Amino acid sequence: MTRRPLILLAAASAAVLGLAGCAQSTSATGSAGEQSSAPAASAAPAPAPFDGDPVKVALVRQSGAGDYFTSWGSGAAAQAESVNIDLTVTDARNDNAKHASDLEQAIASKPDAIIVDHGQTDTIEPLVHQAVDAGIPVVVYDLALNDPEGVIVTSQSDESMAQGVLDQLIEDVGEGAKVGYVSATGYAALDRRAVVWNEVVEENGLEQVFSTGKVTESTATDNIPLVDAALKQNPDVQAIFAPYDEITKGVVQAVNQNNLQDKVKVYGIDISNADIEVITAEGSPWVATSATDPAAVGAAVVRTLALSLAGELDEESVTFPAVTITQDFLAENEITNVTDLREAEPGLLLDDVVTADWLPAVSS
Amino acid sequence: MTSSSLSSTAPASLATRIGGAVSAGVARWGFIAVTVLLIAFFAATEPSFATVDNALGMLKFIAPTAIAGLGVALAMTIGGIDLSVGASAGFAVSISAWTMVIGNQVGGVAILTVLLGGAIIGAVNALLVVVARIPDLLATLTTMFVVVGLKLILVNGQSISSRMTLPDGTTAPGVFTADFLWLDRGRIGPIPVPVILFLVLTALLWFVLEHTRWGRALYAVGANAEAARLAGIRVRTYRAAAYIGCGLLASIAGLLLSARIGQGDVSAGNSLLLDAVAVALVGVSVLGAGKPNAWGTALGAVLIAVMVTGFTMLGLPYYAQDFGKGIVLLVALLFSFTFSRRRVAVTAGSTTTR
Repeated sequence: MTRRPLILLAAASAAVLGLAGCAQSTSATGSAGEQSSAPAASAAPAPAPFDGDPVKVALVRQSGAGDYFTSWGSGAAAQAESVNIDLTVTDARNDNAKHASDLEQAIASKPDAIIVDHGQTDTIEPLVHQAVDAGIPVVVYDLALNDPEGVIVTSQSDESMAQGVLDQLIEDVGEGAKVGYVSATGYAALDRRAVVWNEVVEENGLEQVFSTGKVTESTATDNIPLVDAALKQNPDVQAIFAPYDEITKGVVQAVNQNNLQDKVKVYGIDISNADIEVITAEGSPWVATSATDPAAVGAAVVRTLALSLAGELDEESVTFPAVTITQDFLAENEITNVTDLREAEPGLLLDDVVTADWLPAVSS
Repeated sequence: MTSSSLSSTAPASLATRIGGAVSAGVARWGFIAVTVLLIAFFAATEPSFATVDNALGMLKFIAPTAIAGLGVALAMTIGGIDLSVGASAGFAVSISAWTMVIGNQVGGVAILTVLLGGAIIGAVNALLVVVARIPDLLATLTTMFVVVGLKLILVNGQSISSRMTLPDGTTAPGVFTADFLWLDRGRIGPIPVPVILFLVLTALLWFVLEHTRWGRALYAVGANAEAARLAGIRVRTYRAAAYIGCGLLASIAGLLLSARIGQGDVSAGNSLLLDAVAVALVGVSVLGAGKPNAWGTALGAVLIAVMVTGFTMLGLPYYAQDFGKGIVLLVALLFSFTFSRRRVAVTAGSTTTR
């Protein structure tokens, strides 16, 4: 056996590597185009800087996995496409060290603007200020900053989400009811929802009989034993507020396990196809939740950036309002998934939030 | 029967000799060529790639992986492998956070605590492999689970952040100190601190492995432990030292991660293991070295940084990047195992040795 076959193999594998590189890059550009539908024709000509070469924007994400984050990303991509933004997306896959590196590298590549999606304050805030100091406009989404000076802060309005659902709770069970709370601390969104919860408990004289919960890699499953124990201790609880849908699902399971679904009402926040199934299941204790459309929110964040670059954004902080969805509403409209819900509840589309005549909402 | 033994016994034909020279060239330079071609391609297509900022950024980004990879390379010199590097790095992140935030200590104390912890993890690995004679793949896998679990127990499964609220309702006394954060965020002159650490540790490991008696002894133990023992080398001592060194390097990688994240993120380090093993394996093939070595490992890390950054600038999603990493690793392994004339002395997973 000579070595020539091996050399050929080496050459072939090098060629394959080269080809693979080319093929991947072309197909990726293609699929980025396919993800977004044809952009809606803008009613008015776009102002600078959107009237010339594509505007380069880096979207630095903590995570892009899961239903919520995937549709958030496709909404952002569709809106970017429609307004001549060349969006470079990095996804740290929940690795906070990589999130920091991604942001550093985004700053080094000197884009026209940066969007930071989620993140840990201690990790990301110094880099956000570094970007602002380098003269790069920054929009953050759902990232708590101690010093938001010079940064455009966007978030889904956790206050409106929690308030809407809790108004429903008070309507259902009345003042002075025995309630339980299942959540975790250390997450910006959950902490903001906790503030509203504490106010509502205070104002309505609710008696909080237990408080538990945690966020893990399998949140729904891991909360079942906690809530199960709490329910065994307090079977007379009337309502449970679990302000994160993964936790809510665990709570629903625990309530069902204890055969308390007729006595305990569960209130959640967020929505997905799986959630709708749980809510509309026969005899489900989950009676109300609050929802935003992640694709519409992703698109609205990009619009916020676009308005700001065009000099047309007046505020430094934008929150996207939520809609409260009840079990009855889903049943009446025979809604089985988020697509149905979007049709039945146009408020989710955010098509009158941060728009301009040259910047209509495009999220799918 | 390999072709190299054939060519050494029979008079080599011209074709065979040319073929041999070409394949040696491919084995020696092929990997460097792939790296240079990729860099040239990205520099040509992405204007922001070939900048000083980006070069330093890439080195900084990859420094923890590279340093953990140096640790794996060190464990590989004695014919072992260490699967607990990611766990050690994650342990370092939580322990440094705990020391500063809960223990209210200064950064220097946190660094010493972490290094001590890394050395202890290495020593446990050494005990299991050398004294208890558990195969290294299994021993370090077990250590990985124990260390990850121990870390979560110590911090109650929580990420520790500056001035966090403790379970009893009070506020934690300490913060991540500025001198500790300097490990990632600081610069000496224009060069970020992690880049300096990366280069210094690479040079140090290179010097130890190539220019000291200890280095020769480590390779000798890896090549043939029995022969090394007969030659008067204290085999057990060297094997233990390699694992302790690996634990130390992994904990240094963890210090950099901790300073980068700025909090005791419990999930940190999880993704480090596979990349660290990959760069150490790539290191074996670079320049046709055929053995684990420091500069090869560093180059492997640089290649991964180039690919990740370049592919990101091209707009490829992360799963395409993983595919690219896999292909490059495959080519590297082909170079070192298939085209190389030298017999490669990687016996990672010495579960088959007696």
